[in-house]
Amino acid sequence: MTISGRVPLLLLLGVAAVVLRPSGSTVLLWLLGVLLLAGLDLLLTPSPGTIGLSRRPPGTVRLGDPAASVLVVANPGPRRVHLQVRDAWQPSAGAGSNRFRLHLRGGDQRRVTTPLLPRRRGDLRAAGVTVRSWGPLGLVARQRTYAVPGSVRALPPFDSRKHLPSRLARLRELDGRAAVRVRGQGTEFDSLREYVRGDDVRSIDWRASARQSHVVVRTWQPERDRRVVLVLDTSRTSAGRVARVAGEDETDGMPRLDAAMDAALLLGALASRAGDRIDFAAGDRRVRARQRLHGVRDVAARLQEQMADLDPTLVEADWDVLAGAVQGFGRQRALVVLLTALEPSAIADGLLPVLPALTRHHRVVLASVRDPELTRLAEAAADPDVVPTADTAYDAAAAAQELHRRDRMREVLQRLGVDVVDTDADTLPPALADHYLALKAQGLL
Amino acid sequence: MSAPAPTLAPPAAGARRRRPPAWVAVTVAVVLALVVGAWLSRDSEEFPGLADPRNPSPDGAQALAKVLADQGVEVTIVRSADALDDTDVRRRATVVVTATDGLTRSTLERLRRHVGPARVVLVEPSYALVQEIDADLTTLPVRPGTGHAIEADCGPLTGIDLAGLRLEVDGATAYNGTGCFTRELGPVLRTVRDDDGELVLLGAAQALTNDQITRADNAAIALRLLGHDQQLVWYVPDPADAAPGDAVTLGSLLPDWLVPALWTVLLAGIGLVLWRFRRLGPLSTEPLPVVVRAVETTRSRGRMYRRSGDRAHAAHALRRAARTDLAGLLRLDRRAAPAAVVEATARHLGAPVESVAALLDDDRPPPANDQELVRLAQDLARLRREVRRA
Repeated sequence: MTISGRVPLLLLLGVAAVVLRPSGSTVLLWLLGVLLLAGLDLLLTPSPGTIGLSRRPPGTVRLGDPAASVLVVANPGPRRVHLQVRDAWQPSAGAGSNRFRLHLRGGDQRRVTTPLLPRRRGDLRAAGVTVRSWGPLGLVARQRTYAVPGSVRALPPFDSRKHLPSRLARLRELDGRAAVRVRGQGTEFDSLREYVRGDDVRSIDWRASARQSHVVVRTWQPERDRRVVLVLDTSRTSAGRVARVAGEDETDGMPRLDAAMDAALLLGALASRAGDRIDFAAGDRRVRARQRLHGVRDVAARLQEQMADLDPTLVEADWDVLAGAVQGFGRQRALVVLLTALEPSAIADGLLPVLPALTRHHRVVLASVRDPELTRLAEAAADPDVVPTADTAYDAAAAAQELHRRDRMREVLQRLGVDVVDTDADTLPPALADHYLALKAQGLL
Repeated sequence: MSAPAPTLAPPAAGARRRRPPAWVAVTVAVVLALVVGAWLSRDSEEFPGLADPRNPSPDGAQALAKVLADQGVEVTIVRSADALDDTDVRRRATVVVTATDGLTRSTLERLRRHVGPARVVLVEPSYALVQEIDADLTTLPVRPGTGHAIEADCGPLTGIDLAGLRLEVDGATAYNGTGCFTRELGPVLRTVRDDDGELVLLGAAQALTNDQITRADNAAIALRLLGHDQQLVWYVPDPADAAPGDAVTLGSLLPDWLVPALWTVLLAGIGLVLWRFRRLGPLSTEPLPVVVRAVETTRSRGRMYRRSGDRAHAAHALRRAARTDLAGLLRLDRRAAPAAVVEATARHLGAPVESVAALLDDDRPPPANDQELVRLAQDLARLRREVRRA
């Protein structure tokens, strides 16, 4: 139960009565009168339990795009109801004006729309619908909150989409369709055609030319239908917040996981255009997402869908489980991209034991989001803007030690046949895409 | 100087002991004079109040008090409520209160509780005081002037016969109702009866004063009023005895609907709180993700180095990082021996091998304190900068 502003207003009117009849009993009588009115109003108030509530799911939006939640409020009873409805969402769903005043006759129903603007990736849930039913005098209301489940899925933003056109152009250069064909190594023979100026003379097929009156070149196309397995590590190392580029305040940064997702999206989009088949797995101690994306038209969208609800968890990654998920996609040779952090201790304990099993069957690339802050710490002593203190010296020593251990770990991994791509959050997606293109050009998939 | 002093000191000390310094005598004399003065002036305190029994000035009533005492009336002067409480007041006694401006409701009640059935005479009580006694009583100023005496013109008042006596004062206060010495406005002397007993109100304090007591029959009126009983307690109230609630309250000046109105407003305020009290549904909460700065582990490792003072380890890490960096700059193998890096650097910069080795060689003693470590870090940074520039 709750009261409206009319009740204190009515009580305040009692001042006039008191001036006319200055006595303590006037106050009590007035209070009694107001309470009687309020009680009468409460008796006549329809219960909010009779109101029917249903929600239309707002669906999926890309992070930063608006969505709308539609709530249908129905009054099945015969009496007229005066309602106040609040459609509450968790704060990061960015619910705008979510309070409504409705006057419904018996049997009426009304749709109310709450604009949403998600500010966080993932499934953002409705918190509950509060219904306040006012009495006919508007003095007293009865209020209940009902759970009307609903969620809006905010997809990861795919900021690295801007790098896709240039990488696709590079892909076409590898392909036979480009105007200037560059003969790649380890590519597949496509067809013979007439020589035009600008073609690489090395690609002239002399035998075929001998049989014809004009010079003929061979065109090549990169190998197709290779498998690419994207493995996203959501363990504790992915929770670390890093700056996007060096020198940026790390409060503006993002978790490693989000940067890794961006890289995975770009690689997935690129590889699917190149005709490769994508598999995706994500997990830490257990597999959290796993999907084959063969023959799917918009791989990036499907990947976004898969990644939307992934959050870093503070547990150690179990690489046995993740490697098992990779093997579960098939034993055919594949490019396995491990999106994790080059964290020496975590890799030494978890990943190294299972690597030989992976490298035996697949080509393994480890893509890691580097923290620019680490380099900055190590070089703080050389920075003229930094006041040299014992703290900066010790921090520089610790950072140098950490970088050294990373270098060692990188060497160990490379010796095991793993390619390591380790750059800042902003440059990781294009770097990984370039590495993929380089492998493709060399026919190493 | 130092030699004769010991020999001279004992007789000097002895002489001092025999003759105290002059300021001691002066101080003692001043203190004595003050004490004696205070003792002598003990009784010579002045009481400048109107009709005060110890005031010999024209405004005082010392003459009356003296005459009463000479007539065999036992006059007790009390000047505070506590002193009054300590005084034994007989059943048949008169209590006269002069300087009634100092009397408040609480001290008046205390007085009447203590004196019981004794006759209480209030000398010229003010409007505020008579209002406290009876809300219907009012005061009116009377100015009869010299030579215009007022006839008593009344029967016995609380057993005192005043018939035929005439009162003559410069100014007095009349009260409404009936009593003695009535002018057109009202009587100057009257009694008030309420639940606690009877009070005599005398509106002419000037009739008791040394100056005017000799006019007309003033002396006879005063002696009959105050000398009726064997005991006379002359109470000069002290305003400091008033209880805190006695002051003229704001409440008596405000309209009577104000308090109920304030209660109503308070109720409306409570209603206002109840109105705003309940939110439209509970607060919605956000399941917040874990946010850890990735560099936090490195920073805490740095703090750990500092806490344990492991400068050897820190210096080793810094030197190794510098050697790796230099090896890269000088196009040496990444795993080149330290000595080779030192030699190449020295050759590159044209600097003595020894000075470069002092910076880069792990075998050198570690920095002795934090300042040296800071200097080492800066020196290494400068070395790398120089190699890069050269």
